[in-house]
Amino acid sequence: MRTNRQIEIRRCRPLLGTFVEVTTSGSKAASLEHGINAAFAAIEKVHRLMSFHDPDSDVSRMNREAFPKSVIVHPWTWEVLETAQHLAQESNGVFDIATARLVASRGYLPKREYQPDNAATWRDIFLRKNCRVFFRRQLVIDLGGIAKGFAVDRAVAALKACGVEAGIVNAGGDLRVFGPISRIIHVRHPATRAFAAGAVRLAERAMATSGVYFTRRRHHGEYVSPLVDGCTRRFARELISVSVAAAECVVADALTKVVFALREQAARLLKQYRADALILERDAAPSWNFNSSCDTPDRTQFD
Amino acid sequence: MKSEFAFIALPISALVAPSTFAVQYLTVDQAQRAIFPGKSLSAAPVKLAPAQRKAIEQVSGVRVLHDDQQVWRVSGGGWFIVDEVVGKHEFITYAVGLNANGSVKQIEVMDYRETYGGEIRNENWRTQFVGKTSQSPLKLDRDIKNISGATLSCRHITDGVKRLLAFYEVALKRS
Repeated sequence: MRTNRQIEIRRCRPLLGTFVEVTTSGSKAASLEHGINAAFAAIEKVHRLMSFHDPDSDVSRMNREAFPKSVIVHPWTWEVLETAQHLAQESNGVFDIATARLVASRGYLPKREYQPDNAATWRDIFLRKNCRVFFRRQLVIDLGGIAKGFAVDRAVAALKACGVEAGIVNAGGDLRVFGPISRIIHVRHPATRAFAAGAVRLAERAMATSGVYFTRRRHHGEYVSPLVDGCTRRFARELISVSVAAAECVVADALTKVVFALREQAARLLKQYRADALILERDAAPSWNFNSSCDTPDRTQFD
Repeated sequence: MKSEFAFIALPISALVAPSTFAVQYLTVDQAQRAIFPGKSLSAAPVKLAPAQRKAIEQVSGVRVLHDDQQVWRVSGGGWFIVDEVVGKHEFITYAVGLNANGSVKQIEVMDYRETYGGEIRNENWRTQFVGKTSQSPLKLDRDIKNISGATLSCRHITDGVKRLLAFYEVALKRS
């Protein structure tokens, strides 16, 4: 028998408010187990730093104190904020982490005792030297989805650092595939979660999906969802889902929100990030926008 | 109106039904070794008395569905508990390791199942498949391993753990 037979170890823990699954492939069980524990530890750390609900998280401290003082955050939180601000700039404010205030007002996130400034946007968030954050106005940020994407990226980094050759980290639908093995990813259909709408094969790549499937609810007779267009300040109402594949999960997650709001107009941004997008609508054909090419290690393809 | 960039519209509205989506991550034995490596565990099952059951529900605010709880005592202190939670579509078996002081050491999902019934039969979905190889049949159980989309809440497990911490206070702490 060959000694380097590949084994696969797969674990799942409840984290980030969802189920986080880590799948690893390699030749030594002990090193896979070690990698899995390191990956979950990284996700727990992101959870502690960026939870909206935990009063001790960086996010809660910023929301309480970054206006009118400033707050020093962990370098990981800083990195997510930097990515978020960059995307806010590139999308002209369609992506805006300061829209948590609106989400809270619709009952998706707990209301806070402080009174946020209604005119506050991402432009009122200032990232200073040495991980110091300052808000020019009283505002509420929520890193929600991108923190989840970032957690997936950190988990993959932890697995690689432990010498795990290949695997996949899936945090409730935000996932990233790494190593020489490509994986088939099924995308849930927005109209009924019992169905997959299709499948792609990913290699060295992340995929995130945003939809209004389960979270849509009625608010004063109107259907609302937790997705808000940062520019128009309106809630996404149509029953669609957007999946984006990109090199990093933090970017993939953020871009789903942009595509959700801009649809076809997001094409320039997708191209810029070499990201692929899938839009699903009720009673319509799924549509794809591919920007990754087949001759690069990280790619998305139909399977 | 024509958009500035063409999204490729695929002609088939493709739907594949994972009518059951199930994964076994760990057996009881494997979960024990994952949470308490190198420790020996001895079975110490608990049958709750009505008063205990009531006390757990009062402390945790979560309903107790079973009087029998699968518990193991860990050598050198600590507990290993196997529990189940049921959601609208999900059936989850999970293990919780408690430290000697009753705090949570680790939670591992052992079995995860999603099952869907009527809604598949009621809808006239075409079970076709998007992609270049749409002709090839899809083997549901074997092929659907990774799903993107629709964050599923782990609230049932969060409630389950809350219930188990009350269970520890009521049934394990002084034993």
